[in-house]
Amino acid sequence: MPDPIHQFDLHRIVPIELFGWDVSFTNSAAYMMLVVLLSTGFFMVATRARSLVPSRLQSVAEITHEFVADMLRQNVGKEGMKYFPFVFALFIFIFMSNMLGMIPGAFTVTSHLIVTAALAVMVFLTVLVIGFARNGLRFLKLFVPSGVPWYVLPLVTLIEVISFLARPLSHSVRLFANMLAGHITLKVFSGFVVMLLGAGTFAVLSPLPLLMVVAITALEVLVAFLQAYVFTMLTCIYLNDALHPGH
Amino acid sequence: MSDPPEKQGRAPGEMTPEELARFERRVSELGNKLGKVKAGRNAEAEADRDAEMRGRGMAYGLRMGLDLVAGVLVGGLIGWGLDWVLGTRPWLLLLFFVLGFAAGILNVMRTYQQMQREFAARTGGNIGHRVPDDD
Repeated sequence: MPDPIHQFDLHRIVPIELFGWDVSFTNSAAYMMLVVLLSTGFFMVATRARSLVPSRLQSVAEITHEFVADMLRQNVGKEGMKYFPFVFALFIFIFMSNMLGMIPGAFTVTSHLIVTAALAVMVFLTVLVIGFARNGLRFLKLFVPSGVPWYVLPLVTLIEVISFLARPLSHSVRLFANMLAGHITLKVFSGFVVMLLGAGTFAVLSPLPLLMVVAITALEVLVAFLQAYVFTMLTCIYLNDALHPGH
Repeated sequence: MSDPPEKQGRAPGEMTPEELARFERRVSELGNKLGKVKAGRNAEAEADRDAEMRGRGMAYGLRMGLDLVAGVLVGGLIGWGLDWVLGTRPWLLLLFFVLGFAAGILNVMRTYQQMQREFAARTGGNIGHRVPDDD
């Protein structure tokens, strides 16, 4: 049976060692660069004309912009637009990585926990820094809900703190697990097709898993978009907490 | 000034009865065709929306489960770490495990509230009214 995990293997393209650390240029890094180059290139080409009546490419760029901007405006409000570049870059990076991963044979950057964890921790730290910089110690009001009797307040505060600390975990694992599970499922079902074809008379059954693969591929494209959306959405909600603590 | 139209027997836009009948038949035929195309399109959009909702449902379900587990995990981890530092094993682990569970439930409730808001915004506030009752 073809190995469904093989697609997540990392291998060094340019081995580099710095101060005893292995910082080799891997296939993952190569795909990240490809994602950045592709998305930057797309937006540069799409917005080059800057016409009042947009061409097709330009409308795609404009729709993407409006999509993320609406998300920010709805969840954070007008002052959230200050962080638009950060949120937009996050969305485009995850979306392009997920979509690039849907191409057969391509490597999916977001199927590695370390990548999504780095993104989630970055969001977590950004929220902490912005929260304390904008509100000072009032940011801590986030952990003290109003209207709670004093005798349960310490308990509730403790629970709120744990809930806050759990954010980067669920934030990163969600994206990673979805991409990993989806790609493994695809590979396993594709493996069934090959196995059935080599199993004599059972080969007549091989179209069944093939149909399944087609259906799952459609679902995976949806999941690829949805997970990028969910990740960005949660980033907006966390940013809102940083700007308006004390709900 | 041209002649008033009445003098030519009928108005310029007016049709003979058989012309009118033919015209009306054509209109109704066109209406039928259009109705069929529209119905097909609606069914397609409906199917698309259903598939999208299923995908969303799965994503939401996974999301809530993960919210719960993350709370318990982080709570347990904090307790374990404090135990390790303070040498009170296993009491803080037990305490924070339970607190983590509470935090997980809190996370799930927050996610649910946010999903409700999102749904209300998407459907214009009438959640559950789109599906007709089959009974």
